[in-house]
Amino acid sequence: MSASQSAVRSRAEAVQVSRAFDWMILFTLFTAVLGGYHIHYMLTGGDWDFWTDWKDRRLWVTVAPIVSITFPAAVQACLWWRYRLPVGATVSVLALLLGEWINRYMNFWGWTYFPVNFVFPSNLIPGAIVLDVVLMLGGSMTLTAVVGGMAYGLLFYPGNWPIIAPLHVPVEYNGMMFTLADLQGYHYVRTGTPEYIRMVEKGTLRTFGKDVAPVSAFFSAFVSIIIYFLWHFFGRWFSKTDFIADDAS
Amino acid sequence: MAATTESVKADAAEAPLLNKTNLWAGIALYLVFYSFIRWYEGVYGWSAGLDSFAPEFETYWMNMLYIELVLEVVISAALWGYLWKSRDRKVMSITPREELRRHFTHWTWLVCYGWAIYWGASYFTEQDGTWHQTIVRDTDFTPSHIIEFYLSYPIYIITGVAAFLYAKTRLPTYNEGLHLMYMVVVIGPFMILPNVGLNEWGHTFWFMEELFVAPLHYGFVFFGWAALGILGVLNTEVMAITKLLKKDLA
Repeated sequence: MSASQSAVRSRAEAVQVSRAFDWMILFTLFTAVLGGYHIHYMLTGGDWDFWTDWKDRRLWVTVAPIVSITFPAAVQACLWWRYRLPVGATVSVLALLLGEWINRYMNFWGWTYFPVNFVFPSNLIPGAIVLDVVLMLGGSMTLTAVVGGMAYGLLFYPGNWPIIAPLHVPVEYNGMMFTLADLQGYHYVRTGTPEYIRMVEKGTLRTFGKDVAPVSAFFSAFVSIIIYFLWHFFGRWFSKTDFIADDAS
Repeated sequence: MAATTESVKADAAEAPLLNKTNLWAGIALYLVFYSFIRWYEGVYGWSAGLDSFAPEFETYWMNMLYIELVLEVVISAALWGYLWKSRDRKVMSITPREELRRHFTHWTWLVCYGWAIYWGASYFTEQDGTWHQTIVRDTDFTPSHIIEFYLSYPIYIITGVAAFLYAKTRLPTYNEGLHLMYMVVVIGPFMILPNVGLNEWGHTFWFMEELFVAPLHYGFVFFGWAALGILGVLNTEVMAITKLLKKDLA
């Protein structure tokens, strides 16, 4: 067979081969991004994502978008600029959420018995969809970073508020005002909970979102823009197909 | 007519481009093995894994550590050695169809690699968080560490290096040198192991809160980023496969 010949015998077989590769590529990309993104997110924003009473804090609103816009930006840099697929951010976030949900059920609840309503993962989907849509409609990395990145940061809190709202119901406990989220944390003490969170902040309404949450979200949105730029270029670097000269070959 | 009949016979006798049995067997192997491990953790984590000074800890956890370390050395030496010894020395002269078949086998390895990354970097790593938020560590070899650091990480390193060796020794695409991003993907996770040493040293000498976002853990984050090198491998593969097909699929 000549080197100029096709490896397949018909167009139908070429289509079949192409589809088979698509599924294998998707599976590998999804699981590899899941693993890398999960270890990144759990070790940079994880504690604020694990616990409902930590989600009650302003730091969660600020930190979670900044550290979670990383992999979506990098995967977009490959899937959009190489293949015109505007799904990089959504695929990344769906992968992360799948990994987190499996873990919260199998391990947090299934092995160490934390209630799932205490450990559910944060919702990152609205921001990821907007990030992809801005890239698809604008076709510009700068526009995506500035508009999409800002939207990613700003949408995080309202995207989660319907889920955590019931946990913000105030309750009185031993003469102190708590949120329901605080009360859960009070009864499920963790070995690693820092003292300032466990003892000092507990029982005050200043942990509510209120007017400081949007301010925190704006700060987060501005930093998300910078992180998007940085990680877009990381994504381009990771997409390289270069070879290093191999003396042995 | 006779020639056509011969050709059809040859096609029927030819090995399939994608060996689906191997693909599903690979996925099932990790799934069944790790399901067993999860069952073991559930049963012996609480009953024998709380106190590293207890005799039952030695029986159920330290012995497991010793067994897995020996098996990992033996399996990696045998697998990597076999892939290298059986390498194709005339890799540049294979037919396009054989090359395509080998790309499928390569992707079977990569599917297993992605699957192994999921179990190691996602499942067992976050699981370690929940265990240490519940049980105060009194040794570097806690039940979750014996599974996470010393079992699931080596397994994905062994799988990744095997995929790399397969590509390097059997595919013309990788013959021109060492693929930079493939090296990042394979060596990045390996560098997690030295970082395990730093992590345990830190936890041994400093009484720390079990804070997952503590700076001591940032080394794991850095090496976790290496998984993104799969993007470069993907791009190289898409270019190679497109070249082999030479068909307009639009």
